[in-house]
Amino acid sequence: MFKSLLTGAALGLSALTMALPAHAEYPERSIQAVIPWGAGGATDNVMRSLTPYVEKELGGKFILNNRPGGTAVIGSTHVMQQRPNGYTVLLGAENPQLYKVLKLADFDYADFYPVNIIGQNVVVIAANADAPFNNMAELMAAAKANPDTLRMGSTGAGGLPSTVSAMINAVDELKVREVTFGGDGPGITALMGKHIDFMPLSLAAARELVRSGKLKALAVFATEETPELPGVEPITKSLPAIAEYLPWGPFWGAFVHKDTPDDVKQKLVDAYAKAVANPEFQGFLKNFGAQSLNLNGAEAEEFLKRWQSVTTWSMYKAKAIEISPDSVGIAKP
Amino acid sequence: MSDTLSYLLMAWSDPQLLMLTALGTFAGIYIGAIPGLSVTMAVSILVSFTFSWDVNDALALIVGIFIGGVYGGSRSAILLNIPGAPSSVATAFDGYPLAQQGEAGRAIGLSTVMSVVGGIVGTIMLASAAPLIGELALRFAPRDYFLVAAIGLLLVGSLAEGSLAKGIFAAGLGAVIGLVGMDPVTAQGRFTLGQVELMGGIHYVVLMIGLFGVAEAFYQLHNLDSPVIRQKVDKILPSFAMVLKFLPLSIRTSIIGVIVGVLPGVGGDIAALMAYDHAKRTVKNPSRPFGKGAYEGLVAPETANSAAVGGAYVPMLTLGMPGDAVTAVIIGALVVHGLNPGPMLMVENPHIFYFTVGNLLLANVFLMIFGLMGIKLFAKFVEMPKAVLIPLILVLCVVGTYSINSSMTEVYWMLGFGVLGYLLKIFGFQMGPIILGAILGPLMDTSYRQAMSSAGDNPMELLQGLVTSPLSLILSAAVVLILLGNTPLLKKLKSKLSPASARG
Repeated sequence: MFKSLLTGAALGLSALTMALPAHAEYPERSIQAVIPWGAGGATDNVMRSLTPYVEKELGGKFILNNRPGGTAVIGSTHVMQQRPNGYTVLLGAENPQLYKVLKLADFDYADFYPVNIIGQNVVVIAANADAPFNNMAELMAAAKANPDTLRMGSTGAGGLPSTVSAMINAVDELKVREVTFGGDGPGITALMGKHIDFMPLSLAAARELVRSGKLKALAVFATEETPELPGVEPITKSLPAIAEYLPWGPFWGAFVHKDTPDDVKQKLVDAYAKAVANPEFQGFLKNFGAQSLNLNGAEAEEFLKRWQSVTTWSMYKAKAIEISPDSVGIAKP
Repeated sequence: MSDTLSYLLMAWSDPQLLMLTALGTFAGIYIGAIPGLSVTMAVSILVSFTFSWDVNDALALIVGIFIGGVYGGSRSAILLNIPGAPSSVATAFDGYPLAQQGEAGRAIGLSTVMSVVGGIVGTIMLASAAPLIGELALRFAPRDYFLVAAIGLLLVGSLAEGSLAKGIFAAGLGAVIGLVGMDPVTAQGRFTLGQVELMGGIHYVVLMIGLFGVAEAFYQLHNLDSPVIRQKVDKILPSFAMVLKFLPLSIRTSIIGVIVGVLPGVGGDIAALMAYDHAKRTVKNPSRPFGKGAYEGLVAPETANSAAVGGAYVPMLTLGMPGDAVTAVIIGALVVHGLNPGPMLMVENPHIFYFTVGNLLLANVFLMIFGLMGIKLFAKFVEMPKAVLIPLILVLCVVGTYSINSSMTEVYWMLGFGVLGYLLKIFGFQMGPIILGAILGPLMDTSYRQAMSSAGDNPMELLQGLVTSPLSLILSAAVVLILLGNTPLLKKLKSKLSPASARG
């Protein structure tokens, strides 16, 4: 009888330990970090550079996994379907904010908890070095003189170039042929080969080529000059009306499931905040041509909401999308 | 000048770099040889792993794995008829028949030497003409990619052993499988059956592992009782005379490999298939009929896929554009180490270029050494009882597929394709054209749409472009010629001409 009591107690105790919350000392095991884009891309590069710093601050190991496909739908959906215990993190870019209006999926970042909005990229309107236009005004004039003749590189619905062109079309007219590529890489190759005339690109992708003279920067998509590209005019010079949409740029962030326990969320937030602020990583971002944001909590949610609202409403105004943003719950900026 | 030389020799003189390159090459050979494990996956893992290392150390290891892996796929292609890497699909065509005749040792030896020849040619072209070749790659407009893909698809004509109709059907099936996923322009799902998982498409490596790995394993179940073929492993190293005999072919196919490797988005796998087709067309008296163990059929793809490595480095180093999936990851590695791949790389950090050239040469030397080692062991491995070999292969295929994207869905698809492939094989369909269709179909689709939208959806403008650009003209002429060459029309013309010339 004593024996059975003892076994019962042993079993009961072990059951109890198993029932104890997994975050007794988070992180107890390695964390799966999902990057919903391909290896070697901008998002992948930023996240792979950042993760070692986060590992140091958090004291745990991250396993980085690329799950590309469907403009990040596949990777983001995967993270949403995992258990909300903080052991799966989404390291993504800005695309999910456009899912609802593009009908790619029925969720967006409001269904995740933003651990950190790491940084944002400045957009540059780039053209081939031998192109006949030198700034935004000349490009707009050329497009108006020959509508639907100039070729703009694009990365598909929901990609950076189509969003930028939608915003430009919301305040002025830019009728061009959109040629779709699989990413900014192939687009840049086509731009250099003069198979397209211009393409909105992230500064990170275009910087080296502009610096070496292979590409020409017509304007930066900002209200003032960016120190990385001296002499390149801000787009507000030729399109003052666009200022209401700025500042704008593709961003990167780390997210977890909304129902993750609060103490796990806090640990992640602290680790990421310190890692992003690390001077070495800041140096990397600067070298990469990106702007550090390092937002979390309410500021991050505010940022995400504003980004979504500005982007979707300008796309709607430019008739780039058919669904009205307020029909999916997005308020006007 | 002495600076350049010192960078070139850096990998050769520093013991740590020497060791890392050797380690990388050795590991790469075995990663490539195991069906399912891929070089791209290994390199992606290494990028994070080597984050804190010195950039030269990281690059040396990665270069080794790249070179080793591209070659390594030929081992399992020859021994098991299962390509270990996509670049070895064509190697199995003549490699496996050679193994079936007991000459596996010689086949592996030949493929090793030829891979090194191709690798060296590729590296020399990289070193001497990189900026020029880079500029050539830029000239390819979307319509030229469309034509290249069309030429590739027409290879079905020569790859289809037996019934041409079955080959065309297989290529068409591959193209349809390649269509699955998101439409590149409108982001609408195509053939996704409402599943989110399919929005990313079916990765062609998944298809390859299923069709070549699992299907072959099932197919071997038919031959469980057939006697194990004793492999002749005494004559491994091909005689110098043999290497010289194949030298013209190997140089030609290496050049094909480099050019195809340079084109962003097209890599060693297509290069190998195109080289195989070239060999079939140009070698009049092969040592044996193609498809039955012709040495030329082994030489061509192996030189091409190794040369394509050098080719893939050209756009990466001169323009910062990846030539294929692995160089895309290497670019990421360079960025993570604070370097900026792009035109400025050659100007600001020229040592990376020369170091890479020297490193590639070194890796090829190690390839020769490690490639010729362990052949006896590998050949004996194939003499293992099938009851052990086949389950082992199936396990490796499952693990390998899962390791690509950590997706169980892909494993199920892979198994499904395995069953489909097995059924197709029984009825005499070739697997090669299916893969060809799966890789080139989407390329044709995307390029056509890019070309059309560049021309403002105006077919006349597109046709104009085809004839005005010299490059497009050459490629279009090639397409027309290949098409005609497969029809009785050309034969009629020939027969009309030859009696005339016989009389005259």
